[in-house]
Amino acid sequence: MGKTVLIVDDSNTMRKIVSRSLRQAGIDFDQILEAADGQEALDVLGANKVDVVLSDINMPNMTGLEFLKAKAEDDAIKDIPVVMISTETGADIIDEAKSYGAKGAIKKPFTPDLINETLGPLL
Amino acid sequence: MEFAKKIVETTEEIFSTMIFMDIASEPPFEEGKQVLGCHVSAMIGLTGSFSGMLGIHCPENVGLAISGAMLDMEIDEINADVKDALGEIANMAAGGIKERFAAENIDLELAIPTAISGKSYTISSPTKSNRLIIPFRVEQGRFFIEMKYNLN
Repeated sequence: MGKTVLIVDDSNTMRKIVSRSLRQAGIDFDQILEAADGQEALDVLGANKVDVVLSDINMPNMTGLEFLKAKAEDDAIKDIPVVMISTETGADIIDEAKSYGAKGAIKKPFTPDLINETLGPLL
Repeated sequence: MEFAKKIVETTEEIFSTMIFMDIASEPPFEEGKQVLGCHVSAMIGLTGSFSGMLGIHCPENVGLAISGAMLDMEIDEINADVKDALGEIANMAAGGIKERFAAENIDLELAIPTAISGKSYTISSPTKSNRLIIPFRVEQGRFFIEMKYNLN
């Protein structure tokens, strides 16, 4: 069965760029799902089988960190790996994200190679 | 604080890795009111060790070219995609500047970017703000990265 990725970012542009970068990195997903904030992401995870999540941090409604916290409290989805993709990649915020279960972080702007290096080991 | 150097470095990084357009920085404007002749702008607030705003301002044809390159599609009018794309450039530029200042133990927090468009608009800020505008040339013309800031 093919793999599914969920891209979480309030910017439609950035969701398209991440999707394009996955293709350029040679990472082939059968299904690419999108969400515009943390709450939408929780809804998508509740309704779909997702293999990995790429999430922004700085989003309205529910931030990436709030999303991680809520996800960690839900047994049905807590083990789905999440990689943060954000301009916010200071050590303090990344440490906080990892304490809520994030598996890695990619700084914007990014290259397809960096996506591949970070995401590859999780698939 | 070397604002100009940080702005040029982070802008060049964004355009080389995610937009794939050649850009060339020009000498900054540092003083006085400037008429930039732009039709779409995106801005993001900064708070922390200093407070301020970082913005990107584009004439229509330059904004369309940049956002089209970013999205890998033809865009023929200023629409939500153009504003969103420029908002992301402002976001990444502010993030790059935040990272560079963090290396000097100067902490900043970022707001959520906003964008505006129109035939003629004025962006104002408190009169005591410091202002720096750096022009960047692309094939289609020039765009501008602006930094307004107050040292706390």
